[in-house]
Amino acid sequence: MTTNIKLAKRTRLDSQFDKIRALEEAGLARSAGGSRFFNKFKNNRLALIGLIIFTIIVLASICAPLLTPYDPQKIDLRAILQAPSWEHWFGTDRTGRDLFARVLYGGRISILVGLGSAILSAALGVVIGVYTGYVGGWLDALAMRVSEIFMAFPQIILVLLLVSILGQSLLNLIIIFTLTGWGGIYRLSRARMLSLREEEYVLALRSFGLSRPLIAYKHMLPNALGPIMVNITLSTAAFILQEAGLSFLGLGVPLSLPTWGNILNVAQDLRVLQNNWWIWLPVGTVISLFVLSVNFIGDGLRDATDPTQQG
Amino acid sequence: MLTYIIRRVLILIPMALVICFLVYLGLEMTPGDAVSFMISPDALSSMDPAQLAEMREALGLGQPFIVRFWIWLSSLLQGNFGYSTSGGVPIGRILSDRLPATLELSVAALVLSTILGSLLGVISALKRGSKTDSALTVVGMLGVSVPEFFFGLVAILIFGLNLGWLPVGGRMMPGYVTFWDRLPHLIMPASVLSIMLTAGVMRYARSSMLDALSKDFIKTARSKGIPEWRVNLLHGFRVALTPVVVLIGFRLPVLLGGSVIIEQVFQWPGIGNEFISAVRGQDYPVVMTIALLSVMTVLVASLIVDVLTAVIDPRVRLGD
Repeated sequence: MTTNIKLAKRTRLDSQFDKIRALEEAGLARSAGGSRFFNKFKNNRLALIGLIIFTIIVLASICAPLLTPYDPQKIDLRAILQAPSWEHWFGTDRTGRDLFARVLYGGRISILVGLGSAILSAALGVVIGVYTGYVGGWLDALAMRVSEIFMAFPQIILVLLLVSILGQSLLNLIIIFTLTGWGGIYRLSRARMLSLREEEYVLALRSFGLSRPLIAYKHMLPNALGPIMVNITLSTAAFILQEAGLSFLGLGVPLSLPTWGNILNVAQDLRVLQNNWWIWLPVGTVISLFVLSVNFIGDGLRDATDPTQQG
Repeated sequence: MLTYIIRRVLILIPMALVICFLVYLGLEMTPGDAVSFMISPDALSSMDPAQLAEMREALGLGQPFIVRFWIWLSSLLQGNFGYSTSGGVPIGRILSDRLPATLELSVAALVLSTILGSLLGVISALKRGSKTDSALTVVGMLGVSVPEFFFGLVAILIFGLNLGWLPVGGRMMPGYVTFWDRLPHLIMPASVLSIMLTAGVMRYARSSMLDALSKDFIKTARSKGIPEWRVNLLHGFRVALTPVVVLIGFRLPVLLGGSVIIEQVFQWPGIGNEFISAVRGQDYPVVMTIALLSVMTVLVASLIVDVLTAVIDPRVRLGD
């Protein structure tokens, strides 16, 4: 009885399958062309929305000088704490700096920190994980122990610990993020290699006498690229959140540089929080939107690279 | 079972030792002398140099590095964490002052996120593919995408400043005696801290529930004519929830990390707050000790989780 009712209820998945079937019957199923990966990604509505938001924010940051005539660092004491207007779209802060310009230019550094750290830590993790995962033995055991030590620390605590030792600067922050963030992607690529090295083509390559690094990096790595790309995307989102949190505390990028977190820093003051919403609300929304879009893209990539999923 | 626990502990000990060693290395490399860490500055200024040299000798500072490490470690195990460089307060006392606040906040956030997360996850699993499910997925994504402190700021503005329902920060006021006096102060930080955790639990509970619902015993239960809600609740939910409870241990690093920032936003006088001010003031002994404690907490928690998993699922014991 109850299962009948369940069957009768049409879910979104059902209608999706119906659509696919209709396409197949009309002989259009494959006519869209392009790779299956691309089609799958295109059909994921959330991932597409994410990609659009992501592109808009990245482009706006890159083209900042075209979009605003203001200098993000220029102090204008005749225009402090102005509410949003035609002249200053996001208003001005306590020293009269235009907030729209600060959000745009701040995006450059925040995105640089997030994406840069994600790519660097992925590179570090992949270089170590791919080789040790393929070779195994004591090298693998050593790398595993080292990563366990790094991952035992709650990440933000390790980051803050290193900030207190190395000091605050943009470069230091990227180095610290790279050092603390490589563990996850190392494990992922190592696990992929462990299953890949049982494949027959690897055995064939070995019997040809190819060197170990060549087999690992040139012939095996491309087969592990899907999950690695997903991981880079998701860790970009995580690093941008961390940079924002650290800068909000005043311990991230030095306050002299505009970043999204640094703009939010003043909101620790309850008077600013209550009376000058335009200082912190727009930039907080931009951070949230950006991270959300990156997460959507990451999810879309995961679904698109996963061959077990249909649609 | 016992051999499994012993084996896990034996793996843990060298790792804990290496981490202690690294932390000690950090302490040695950062500015400041071990004597100035262990003695309060007041006492230090009133001592004559000969006495200090004698103390250094007694503490073994002339000894080789590894011996000094051993002395530091054994005093740590006896509960002597040394002194904060700013103010000369014993670190042990700082920790015991701050720990209850952090525990209170963490437990509240854990309980809240576990209940809410598993509830929402199960709902979205039961209504798989529906509008509710997609909406919950998006909400969960928002939960992990919006910075926690931004949630905190918005909450302070709405509930603290504009509506005036809840205090904007702090924990203790003169005249507070019971937990119920403090409760209004706890509500906002605990809810904000639990948002990210809730999103994680929800995802996990959803897939775990879907997994449970596809099992044969659910079909059996249905075919016996048991009402749908009973099938879902008593058979599906119970099985799905076991791994979710184990998940608590894995969420501990997220919780510890999140509480560092949230405690700052709400001026909650916990360990995280102390950690931030120690980082700002470059009070290395405090920074190192708190970092060390957080790692040890995570390690012990993961040990407990592993043991619990082995208790629930015998396959884990045999496989490892």
